[in-house]
Amino acid sequence: MRPTEPQPTEPQGRVILPIASRSETVKTLAGIVRPHRLRGAVMLSVLLGRATLGLAGPLLLGSIVDLVVEGNPVNDMLRPFILLLVVAAGEGILAGLGTALIARFGEPVLATLRERVLDRALGVPLSDIERAGTGDLVSRVGDDVSAVSEAIRFALPALMGAALSICLTIVGLGVLDWRLALAGLCAAPIQLYTLRWFLPRSAPLYARERLIKGERAQQLFDSIDGASTVRAFRLSEPHTSMVRTRSRAVFDLVLQTVKLQSRFFGRLNLAEFVGLTAILIVGFMLVGDGVITIGAVTAAALYFQRLFDPINILLYLIDEAQSAGAALARLVGVANLPGPPVSAPQDEGPAITSGLSIRIQGLGFAYQVGPPVLHNIDLEIAPGERVALVGVSGAGKTTLAKLIAGIHEPSGGEIRIGEAGMAELGSDGIRRLVCLVTQEIHVFSGSLSEDLRLAKPDASDGELERALELVGAVNWAAAMPDGIATVVGEGGFRLTPTQVQQVALARLALRDPPVAILDEATAEAGSSGARMLEAAASRILKGRTSLVVAHRLTQAASADRVVVMEEGRIVEVGTHAGLVKAGGAYSALWKAWSFSRS
Amino acid sequence: MLRAAFRRQRRTALGGSLLFISHQAGEIGVPIVAALVIDKAIVTSDVRLLVLHLLALAAVFATLSYSWRFGDRLVERATEATTHELVVDLTTRILHPAGGLSGSSLTGELVSTASSDAGKVGSIFGAAAGGAAALGALIVASAVLLNISLALGLLILIGLPPVLVGLQQVVRPLERRFRAQQDQAAAASGVATDLIGGLRILKGLGAEVAAGDRYRAASQNSLATSLGASRLDAVHEGLNVAVTGALLAGVAFAGGRLAAQGRISIGELIAAVGLTQFLIGPLFRLGSSGADLARSRASARRVADVLSAPFAVTQGCDALTEPVRGELVFDDVSGSLSLKVAAGEFVGVVALDPADAYRLLDLLARNTSCSEGRITLDGVEVGSTGIENWRAAVVVSPHDADLFEGKFSDNVLVAAPHPERLAEYLAAAGADGMAAALPDGIDTPVTERGRSLSGGQRQRTALARALASEAPVLVLHDPTSAVDAATEARIAVNLSALRSGMTTLIVTTSPALLAVADRVLVLAGGSVTGEGTHSRLLVSDPAYAEAVLA
Repeated sequence: MRPTEPQPTEPQGRVILPIASRSETVKTLAGIVRPHRLRGAVMLSVLLGRATLGLAGPLLLGSIVDLVVEGNPVNDMLRPFILLLVVAAGEGILAGLGTALIARFGEPVLATLRERVLDRALGVPLSDIERAGTGDLVSRVGDDVSAVSEAIRFALPALMGAALSICLTIVGLGVLDWRLALAGLCAAPIQLYTLRWFLPRSAPLYARERLIKGERAQQLFDSIDGASTVRAFRLSEPHTSMVRTRSRAVFDLVLQTVKLQSRFFGRLNLAEFVGLTAILIVGFMLVGDGVITIGAVTAAALYFQRLFDPINILLYLIDEAQSAGAALARLVGVANLPGPPVSAPQDEGPAITSGLSIRIQGLGFAYQVGPPVLHNIDLEIAPGERVALVGVSGAGKTTLAKLIAGIHEPSGGEIRIGEAGMAELGSDGIRRLVCLVTQEIHVFSGSLSEDLRLAKPDASDGELERALELVGAVNWAAAMPDGIATVVGEGGFRLTPTQVQQVALARLALRDPPVAILDEATAEAGSSGARMLEAAASRILKGRTSLVVAHRLTQAASADRVVVMEEGRIVEVGTHAGLVKAGGAYSALWKAWSFSRS
Repeated sequence: MLRAAFRRQRRTALGGSLLFISHQAGEIGVPIVAALVIDKAIVTSDVRLLVLHLLALAAVFATLSYSWRFGDRLVERATEATTHELVVDLTTRILHPAGGLSGSSLTGELVSTASSDAGKVGSIFGAAAGGAAALGALIVASAVLLNISLALGLLILIGLPPVLVGLQQVVRPLERRFRAQQDQAAAASGVATDLIGGLRILKGLGAEVAAGDRYRAASQNSLATSLGASRLDAVHEGLNVAVTGALLAGVAFAGGRLAAQGRISIGELIAAVGLTQFLIGPLFRLGSSGADLARSRASARRVADVLSAPFAVTQGCDALTEPVRGELVFDDVSGSLSLKVAAGEFVGVVALDPADAYRLLDLLARNTSCSEGRITLDGVEVGSTGIENWRAAVVVSPHDADLFEGKFSDNVLVAAPHPERLAEYLAAAGADGMAAALPDGIDTPVTERGRSLSGGQRQRTALARALASEAPVLVLHDPTSAVDAATEARIAVNLSALRSGMTTLIVTTSPALLAVADRVLVLAGGSVTGEGTHSRLLVSDPAYAEAVLA
């Protein structure tokens, strides 16, 4: 990790993802913008040109007024009229060009940023994710990216346009007469004061509004998605009233926000009045003294009225820009993490598919906080051997599996895969050799074939089908509306937990690693599903060195060897038959399990 | 229901609309009064008139400012009140005991109807008030323009609409492109959150590079769409600026000629230019508020569909006689299912076809009505009882039972008549050790849908909750499928002890649970095909043995 900000830590030592400092954000962003800087410069000059040209309109309208006042011939008006048409055309062209250039500058920058964020998010070590969960990361690649995109697409152009026209209008007023510019600036103190009054009040209110709307959405999801459970336990009324409470809270807060906003705009109206009045009074005096013409006052009044909208937009958007800034800092925090491996594991070196042993000596492990979880583990797994890991929940099975998969580093002892120790292999090397399938149920949205190709991007349709065949999924896969091209996952065709785990095993088959670890990969399916998955797992694990964390003893019975763990130690090792005969801990487990199976 | 919700907010919304119109009138007043100041006071250098007109300007500003301030509050109040009311109505309907909307594939749609459609229906008031204000502004401004000069007014009023309609024609494909852009962006964002949601799996497989490639493709696709849309956007923006500018030039030219001929005053010329500039806003808003209304109507249809969805089951109003003994009888249900469970019996049910299991569970849970045959509890027919009365007596805990946001102990005790016996329930469900190991024990918060717990932990928590209901009839479906063998054996023994004296049905193929049942029923082809103790059936029924043994 780069030496940046100190890692923010939550109580209980939970590491959360870094948030970039302001200077780091600016530096990173500058790095992303640099390749596009020429385009950025062109964009800025076009926007500037448009705003400058925009000043000509009111001046020409003012000159028409002057022509009328001076009683010039009607045909003299043709000149300002034609000029007005030319200005309109020029302004139109520059406005269109500006819009296109903003997109051509902003969108690629945005794409680079979001792609880098996702790349880095994929590179976060699994041990960190185990500790912090994926929630924060998901909200960064989702909500924060959306917030920054919205800002870059809508708020930023509006802000730039508004700022430019405000500055140039003041210049325009100054060109008419410097005293008119000063009169216009009378509005500024009121606007600044209003802003300083508004921002500290609106920011917490907006943050709270987001929070409370999130809570309402969460409650709706919680209650509606769990509707069958709500009905089964007669919870309809309490759940409806929880929704009512949270929805009412949104109602109250939104009205509070609206009240604040309407007061904000009320004060801005006052600033508009003061500015316009000042211009008219100054105009009155200057015209009276014969310093400027009626047309100039007209132009000044038109200038100032044209500013109402841009100023309101500018002041209103400052708020949004601030929250987009916060989202950006969270994105840059992720974007500056170390990246994932440069190449896919399967691209490196010759494929080793068998002949690897696992040797574990004196292995110990403790999480950062808490007592040791594993004590002095010695275990050797022969090439191609399948070992089942058995024990009650909390015995340390999953921890041992994670250590072998290289997710955590041992606090003592060592693990060797083949001839190499874990440190020599490095995280890339371990991932090349070892695959881990857990009980986590997730199918990636998109077609089933796209999901499977995550494991092997260049797999042919035939290979995909063979993998599905191996896990016993080929029939239902073919029976889906579009076969393996059917969209599955969120919003798509719904798969049962058993089917999802079949897909997980099919991915493992496609990935084809020499060492495979299954951590209760069959646990989420019902008992009949579990049997099907166990059969599939057996077929896939054939010939691989494998460790299976078993919650059903049938998995242990079919393994080459069984390892029994209790309280972080190995208490028994042997074949199924041998251990049953030995009459120890495993034998007792087996009796309880198979009580009447035979 | 929808109409009633609107009617309740009618006055508020009407008041808001009137204030919006008054705000627009004020907006029109500003350029007019500014023009009058120039015309009457500055041209003539009359201080008294200057002061008078500036006072008028102050009055106009005060009107428009306060109109907006209170109009906005009223309109937002109507919007949010309606949204709130609809959210509650929708939730009430969706969670109604008689069901009718619970197809699991619909969940996402129902959530989005309740959360986003309700808000869009509420915003009908905003769209309507905005439309009314735009229309009002249009009428006032037209009247003023026609009053200044019939010819100039007609020129503007006849010339403006076709120009704006033409611009709208350019906008329409733009809107379509914009929606496509939003869809693409949403798709790319969906790919990102989905990949990160499955990050543990990707890591386990070493598939990060493939995942990164997939996202890059989605992101580039979104980029291409955005750039395509921006080209159209640029054309529209350019045309908009150019046409508006040309229009202003035309009005100034025509007005200037009229003023030079003395047919209108300087002030009227300035006002006409200012009003033309102003009019473009309301005309555009009128068009867009039409589109907003159309969108709100589509949402209103979806809301109405949910609110008026037919119920899945019919109910009577009888209560069961207390105390419920728990004698359950099925007589030729769906033609062929007959069975009898004695009060206090502990019965295992093995369905050779899972469809039979689900049918039985749905009937007992009253997710569907019993249309053929008779189901009785203590001799009372199911259809004659109220659904809530029935569910007070018969609790069916589904296999994929959901947990809710809240404390762990609250989840277990959500339907418990004897919360003080929490420890017993946890022990019987094999969840005592797990609860003790949670960071704050039984007070540990569980996040939405129980996501903070593992699958096995969720299942044991749900089992403890079912046991805590102490229902006279408890129906469990595969309650231990994600539990390790040793714990399952312990659960089986404790479960039967805790439920002794109360009727219990367990639909499962787990031998550990079936072994402790008083009796096991075998379901196949919609009827009971075997019956006996677990050990007897293992010997006598080969299909049973195959279904139960691995």
